[in-house]
Amino acid sequence: MIEQFGRAGFLLIFAIAFPLIPIAASVALGVFRIRPRKPDPIKSSVYECGMVPVGDALVRYNVRYYLFALLFVVFDVEAVFLYPWAVAYRALGVYAFVEALIFIAILFVGYVYAWRKRAMEWI
Amino acid sequence: MLASLDRFGPELAVMATAGLVLLADLVVPRRHKAWLAGLSVAGLLAAALWLVILVLRGRQASFFDDSMALDNFSIFFIFLFIAVCGTVIIASLDYAPRFGSHQGEFFALMLLATSGMMLLAGARDLVTIFVSLELTSISQFILAGLLRDDKGSEAALKYLLLGAIASAVILYGMAFLFGIAGTTRLVTTNGAPSIASTIAAGDAGIRSALILSMVFLAAGFGFKMAVVPFQMWTPDVYQGAPTPVAAFLSVGSKAAAFAVVLRIFYEGFGPNTFVGNDWKEMFAILAAVSMCVGNVMALRQTNIRRMLGYSSVAQAGNFLVGLAAISALTNGRTSLGASGVVFFLATYAFTNLGAFIAVMAISNRTDSDEIADYAGMGRRAPIPAAVLLFCLLSLTGLPPTAGFIAKVYIFNAAVQADLVWLVIVAVLNTAVSAFYYLGVARQMYLETAEGLPTLVRAPWATQGILVVAAMGVLTFGVYPIPLIEAAQRAVNVFG
Amino acid sequence: MLPEVLLATVPLEHVLILGAILFAIGLYLALSKRNAIGVLMGIELMLNAVNVTLLAFSRYVVSPRPLDGQVFAIFVITVAAGEAAVALALAVAIYRHRETVNIDEIDVLRW
Repeated sequence: MIEQFGRAGFLLIFAIAFPLIPIAASVALGVFRIRPRKPDPIKSSVYECGMVPVGDALVRYNVRYYLFALLFVVFDVEAVFLYPWAVAYRALGVYAFVEALIFIAILFVGYVYAWRKRAMEWI
Repeated sequence: MLASLDRFGPELAVMATAGLVLLADLVVPRRHKAWLAGLSVAGLLAAALWLVILVLRGRQASFFDDSMALDNFSIFFIFLFIAVCGTVIIASLDYAPRFGSHQGEFFALMLLATSGMMLLAGARDLVTIFVSLELTSISQFILAGLLRDDKGSEAALKYLLLGAIASAVILYGMAFLFGIAGTTRLVTTNGAPSIASTIAAGDAGIRSALILSMVFLAAGFGFKMAVVPFQMWTPDVYQGAPTPVAAFLSVGSKAAAFAVVLRIFYEGFGPNTFVGNDWKEMFAILAAVSMCVGNVMALRQTNIRRMLGYSSVAQAGNFLVGLAAISALTNGRTSLGASGVVFFLATYAFTNLGAFIAVMAISNRTDSDEIADYAGMGRRAPIPAAVLLFCLLSLTGLPPTAGFIAKVYIFNAAVQADLVWLVIVAVLNTAVSAFYYLGVARQMYLETAEGLPTLVRAPWATQGILVVAAMGVLTFGVYPIPLIEAAQRAVNVFG
Repeated sequence: MLPEVLLATVPLEHVLILGAILFAIGLYLALSKRNAIGVLMGIELMLNAVNVTLLAFSRYVVSPRPLDGQVFAIFVITVAAGEAAVALALAVAIYRHRETVNIDEIDVLRW
């Protein structure tokens, strides 16, 4: 029973070792005074893509982002149905092609609706 | 596949109308939004006409590779859903301007919810059942919050969160059902393995997994049917949602849930299999608890819509009596219990729609749902009050109404299925329910209103619908044979 | 090639137990969280537990149509997204009225 977890076990060991080894190496180099230690405010600040961090991360996001996220999530997930169809396109033939067209047409109605209701404008 | 597309026509017609309404809403000016109601009703009529043609040509069959069925059962319910949706749309003409710029969405979502219910009536595959259930539910969540006011949003959020939990619970049960049978088809016509055939084979090894799945399904659908202990959302949504939506929910959603429960439990699990007695007992207990809790909670309500909410919980208990008594037969094969549920649902549709539309007609003018404000309504709004009185009599189960026949029918089934204790509980509950139903009647006819406006006018369309509903309740109370026969033919497809 | 121990498959029961634990955690979150968004996250967890269960059965079940489970899972994912979208929209609508999405403060309607 337990050996069936071998795969997951290996992954676990690697996953733990991978970050631990550099940290341990860094500490060891510091202890043996091979690594110089010269902190300054910029060096010890949080690294954010090279930008100087501004303010707190826990700010309130504007609710408008939600609207865009909602639209994105819905259309994004609907696209899930197109992948299996695209992969098996040749095997499925014309019938599935028409079905996919109908599906896209329904999505298009939703898109036109969202567009005309001005859900995509930054108010 | 294409050869069966015509059997799918009524659903397609309603869905296409929903899309059209949504698009037309973008170009129709605000003064003429009533056209959208006309378009919706036209689409519903087209669907009904199509279904009539299908019936006349005898196109009943299992189609789309056994994932849908057009049989007497689904035909009965599709007609019911079309009628309910059309009635609510016509009756809400007076109410719809409150939705402001969202009138088009109201009609489109009503149609989408209806098409989901129509699909549910015929769905024979777990995936189809789930997707149509969600089509109905999500449309109803949005409908409940469409007014965007304080109460409506709260009701919609509660409805959605609890409804989503219920969906997840149903899905977990379905996942196990798939694991047991290795297929999502409830029944197959070509001899391939199905859930029904796996259960009928009766391998003792699957029993515990099957019961687990059954409990999950009953819990999830119990939410949709609004039975105790999954009824918490009912009074909130009935009170907070826009009145036409509450009327639609109380009838359509409940009937759809019972239709699908009949499909899964009666057609899929089967009444005479090795788990048959388990689910019948489960529903018997749920029935007793629902009736007691629903009626006791309804007694203390002061808001008429909340009262109707708890009354619908109690009525769901009455329907469940039929499910528990499913093995009582008449003519050797027709299930008395199942046909009782179907018959009861149809009469309940007339009755509850009548009651809700009367409440809507009154509260639209008085702006109050408090029972105390119904004082003297018998004089102030003669027609809505009279219809409300009649529908409340039917909900109580007094002759000469359809509700009386339905109760007698279903109690008779329970007696024949040796569930005398359940009938005693149900009769006692009927007595309790008379208190609060007739309390409203007393308020309307025996109390006098002082200092209140004398006359409450309802628009002609609403009054017409009210009279039709009352006529339906009376007709099926006096001459119920045609409807009973239709209900029996509907459930014979499972027999 | 991978060593033998890595090729051994995980038995069905283990995946089902994983699914059951996920479902229980999700249900607990959904019933205990005060924040509506937190409840929604619990529900998503329940739905994903269902997906795990479906896929496990789809892999192990002996039947002519084992792929039904995978198809089912795709539909579950889509519907979950739709539900989440509606729930977030409603949460925004409520927030505009009440300045809160805590469920125990959303209590105009009760009893």
